[in-house]
Amino acid sequence: MNAYGLLWGLLLALLSTAAQAQNDTPPQSGIWIPNPGADLWKAVRQRGQPEPSTTQVQGLDSNQLINVAGEKFRDWRRERFIRYAAYLLAGVPVVILLFHMLHGAMKLEPSGRKLLRFDLYDRVAHWLLATVFLFLAFTGLLLLFGRFVIVPWLGLDAFSPIASASKEGHNLFGPLFLVALLWVFLRFVARNLPAWRDIVWLLKGGGAFGGKHPSAGFFNGGEKLWFWSLAVFGLLLSLSGLLLDFPSYAPSRELLVLALVVHGAAAVILVAFSFGHIYMGTAGVEGTLEGMRDGTVDANWARQHHDQWYAEMVREGRLEALSEAQENRAETTTGQLEEGRT
Amino acid sequence: MTVAELVDGPLWTVALTVFVAGVAWRLLVLIATGWKRDLSHPRSGSLGGAIRGVVGRFLPSQGMAGRLRLHLVAGYLFHLGLFALLFFAAPHVDFYRDRLFGFDWTPLPHWAFILAAEAAFLGLLMLWLNRVLNPVTRLISESGDHAASVLTFLVMLTGCLALARSHETLRLLHFFVVELFMIYFPFSRLMHSFTFLLSRAAQGAHYGRRGVRV
Repeated sequence: MNAYGLLWGLLLALLSTAAQAQNDTPPQSGIWIPNPGADLWKAVRQRGQPEPSTTQVQGLDSNQLINVAGEKFRDWRRERFIRYAAYLLAGVPVVILLFHMLHGAMKLEPSGRKLLRFDLYDRVAHWLLATVFLFLAFTGLLLLFGRFVIVPWLGLDAFSPIASASKEGHNLFGPLFLVALLWVFLRFVARNLPAWRDIVWLLKGGGAFGGKHPSAGFFNGGEKLWFWSLAVFGLLLSLSGLLLDFPSYAPSRELLVLALVVHGAAAVILVAFSFGHIYMGTAGVEGTLEGMRDGTVDANWARQHHDQWYAEMVREGRLEALSEAQENRAETTTGQLEEGRT
Repeated sequence: MTVAELVDGPLWTVALTVFVAGVAWRLLVLIATGWKRDLSHPRSGSLGGAIRGVVGRFLPSQGMAGRLRLHLVAGYLFHLGLFALLFFAAPHVDFYRDRLFGFDWTPLPHWAFILAAEAAFLGLLMLWLNRVLNPVTRLISESGDHAASVLTFLVMLTGCLALARSHETLRLLHFFVVELFMIYFPFSRLMHSFTFLLSRAAQGAHYGRRGVRV
């Protein structure tokens, strides 16, 4: 071994010893410095035996810097919930489109004779709920999907005010939804009580499968299903929304997380359902929108889609009375029809 | 000049000038025009009739109350809510102090402010829906009525969207719509905010002089 070999051997031995000393024992200076990051984050996440932190901020879990369960929920919301919500909300219009292409619109041969279907209060209540619902759906979907749709398109700086505006608008209009929902419920519930014929109607798909149009009263099985879905999911949506509007009143963070899940799920279900409702009310069935716009429907429309209600109207002489008025070329306004009804 | 400088500066000056001058001009014209001299023998006092006309019209006459229920509830929700928002919302009180009057007054607490906003939105939506869905009001409504409703709604909506007071863009958007509203105001049905008093008083005085009780 030459001198160079000896020097290399000594140097390696020194380095090896120094490294081992640094790993196993405190440095020779006598001050042992632990890894500050590990302990800091362990304390922040309150793992192991958490010591209660103190803060002057009043609020739910305000003495907790990072909530691990909350982080898990956030991941679940971003990776699962939003993805499946997107599938549903994109899938339903596609299904409706396919249905329309295969089935086409249900045609109406106008008879020229009108029946009063919805009075002014029915219509105002319906459109109030519809307006508020559409606004909330739009702002809610912006908040739900904005990070994935708006941010890549317009950037974070543009999305920031959009998100803030959506949140403020959504929070402010939320209670109006509850008011409108209760109003609609009270006005329509008596006409939406379930009956056996509604089951038959649903089993036959409203006549979409099997040709003959199934029998229906004032509302058919599909409309009743929409009404009760709206009532149940709308109530869940409103109550969870109110809790999210006033989070400081929530008894626990877990309840807030549950409210977020319920709010999101109920909203997505209702928005998906509303696509079908909007389709049936406009392009799907001719003459339907007229009922909610002017209050009146064509007698043939009533006979075709709501035969039992039509028969009831004929029995009570409503159709004949209105027809006479029309034959006399009287200007029949909805106001006059409403007087006839009462 | 940036858009922000335009909206906060010259456009505000123009809007305020048009609003103040336009409203003053229209009221002056109305008052100066006067009405035809009534030569009939007065059966009762005009002043009492005018006061009755102004106050009494806050409620519909008995025969009409049932038919105007929706209008009445929605009308009060909207007008009281808007009045509270316009003059007692904290951001507005700050604005009046900083940009108009130099002094302020006690604003509404936040919860009352939100409640007033809910009432105003609910009332306005119901009124507008009644306008388009009721065959009678639909028939007598003109484009100016719809424009006034839509503009008022947009003013309220942009204000509501800027509630967080954290984005200058949203404040500017609200302020811009308010300026459009102020410029449109004197030339539109929105003038009823001022003329309703004159109209009620004039009609009440006319009826009062003739001894008609309504």
